[in-house]
Amino acid sequence: MKLLAKYNLVNLITTIVVMLITGIIYYQAISYILTGQKDKDLVVEEQEIFDYVKLNHHLPQTFESNDQQITFAPAAPGSVQREFFNTRYFEKDEGRKKHKNGGEYESGRGLISSVTVGDKYYKILIIESKVETEDLIRLIFIITIGVILFLLLILQLTNRLILNRLWQPFYNIMSELRLFNIADKHEIPKLPTSIDEFKELNDTVADMAAKAKHDYQDLKVFTENASHELLTPIAVINSKLDTLIQTENFSERQSKLLNDLYGAVSRLNRLNQSLLLLVKIENKLLHDKQQINLREMIEEMVSQFEEIFNDKELTLTVELGEKEIYASRYLAEILLSNLISNAIRHNYNGGKINISLNNNSFTIKNTGDNTPLADEKIFTRFHKSSGSEGSGLGLTISRQICENLGYGLEYLFKEGYHTFTIEF
Amino acid sequence: MKILIIEDEEGLRESIEEYFTEAGNICETASNYQSALSKINLYRYDCILLDITLPGGNGIDVLKSLKENSHPDGVLIISAKNSLDDRLEGLNIGADDYLVKPFHLSELKARVSAIIRRKSYNGSNLLVFNEITIDLLAKEVQVDKTQVKFTRKEFALLLYFIANKGKVVSKNAIAEHLWGDGIDMANNFDFIYSHIKNIRKKLMEAGCKDYIQAAYGMGYKLTDK
Repeated sequence: MKLLAKYNLVNLITTIVVMLITGIIYYQAISYILTGQKDKDLVVEEQEIFDYVKLNHHLPQTFESNDQQITFAPAAPGSVQREFFNTRYFEKDEGRKKHKNGGEYESGRGLISSVTVGDKYYKILIIESKVETEDLIRLIFIITIGVILFLLLILQLTNRLILNRLWQPFYNIMSELRLFNIADKHEIPKLPTSIDEFKELNDTVADMAAKAKHDYQDLKVFTENASHELLTPIAVINSKLDTLIQTENFSERQSKLLNDLYGAVSRLNRLNQSLLLLVKIENKLLHDKQQINLREMIEEMVSQFEEIFNDKELTLTVELGEKEIYASRYLAEILLSNLISNAIRHNYNGGKINISLNNNSFTIKNTGDNTPLADEKIFTRFHKSSGSEGSGLGLTISRQICENLGYGLEYLFKEGYHTFTIEF
Repeated sequence: MKILIIEDEEGLRESIEEYFTEAGNICETASNYQSALSKINLYRYDCILLDITLPGGNGIDVLKSLKENSHPDGVLIISAKNSLDDRLEGLNIGADDYLVKPFHLSELKARVSAIIRRKSYNGSNLLVFNEITIDLLAKEVQVDKTQVKFTRKEFALLLYFIANKGKVVSKNAIAEHLWGDGIDMANNFDFIYSHIKNIRKKLMEAGCKDYIQAAYGMGYKLTDK
């Protein structure tokens, strides 16, 4: 739910509740005042009756007017309590025949009183119609509803016209955040806004982004330094191993141990190189961009890997069209070599590899385990299949290179083939 | 040949020195910028192995000083920085080659041999090893004047072995030399074995002695005997 909608809803509910409460208070107040007015009328009427009786010593003639009925009834002396009450007023129909009773009931206000004429005691009942009062109340109700609707309309218009404009800095900050990339140099700009909250938000976001970038940079520098520092000890181990195997007379057990050491050191080295490479790609430190004929590069690489294809008895199908890209030769080689060596490494003996290149895409398919890989996970750092001898960085690097070049690298498992596609 | 090793890391320096020291080779070492500068100004070497990061200065400056004085020494930069800019800068200033740490000593030896060969044979492209004559430019191998057909990789491997004669060359080193770093899927090095088998077969069929021997399952060794 948008803040604006939420705000409107709250506004709407509050307005309605407030209007209803005011309406009720209005009603009560006006009703009270009007009833008081009626009561005064009734008292005036009563007084007229008393005056008449005093003067004439008999009861006045009762007649019915439009909104007043007076009745007299004999009663036991002292039995009548004077009181005002709400009652119904029967309005006789004149000419209209809507009702069976020949009239209709309206709400009315009555006064019970008593008068003594000579020695006779009479009960007086005066009823006045309150229909005008109700008309008034109805009018007030309509006005209230009208005001509510009018307010809503105004509210909507204000929201449209002002609030959207008011929130614009917020949306600007949001879109800046959406564009935010920890690795690039673009900083979140200061927005021209006079609203303190947005200014504060803008400043906080900009500070946070700068800090995140700074920390990320630190981390990268650390990775780079750590990897660099590792190179020397690895170089020493390597050279010592090379020296060690020059000393003669190894038992089979010793040479097995040495071979394992060699393997481990070369893995360590590759891992380290991959980390360094990742930092370099992310920092866009490779500037040797040039036109590259991909077909030639792939052909060359395939012939490089020839022995390994043969060794695993892999059937290789290659369909290459012409494609030139503008990229770093070094990175393009790493990208292709990563994908091809993956296709070999995760294949079984006697499996198949299909490589195809056209103007739009490069695709490499290989047989292997008959289960799809975990889609996006395979591109994350150090994700690797069990028993893999790789560094776990190959696909991460490949994806980074592709992103750097503005290409997409996707994985698909189809018809028993693990397929990697680069969309140019 | 005379070689100067400029490297501050003691372990590495010693290993290189030990690997290069053999009959007919003289190795000298320098472990910091100052001693490196004084050595290159006093003596001439066939090849200088130059580390870029040195205590007291930058290896690139050593190289510059060498080139300013027009000394003809071959220079191979060994650096932990695998950065293209560094490599280009080094080669532009006049280094002959650039090798990134860590490396196999056999690879270093092969590179140094190549530099010295280029420097000393001045125009001649022939490398002779007993009855084997290798034309480096035409990439042809002759045994007693008869040509033997070698594939590209077999040729590279033979050169590698000759440069490292008398040394055990590990399978890892061979694999990295032939395939570069892309070879990380190969825990079994059967295809190296088949390459070597082919080389031996071709050489022996042409009347050569069997120079290349397996060494304890770790690698291979070309001996002069």
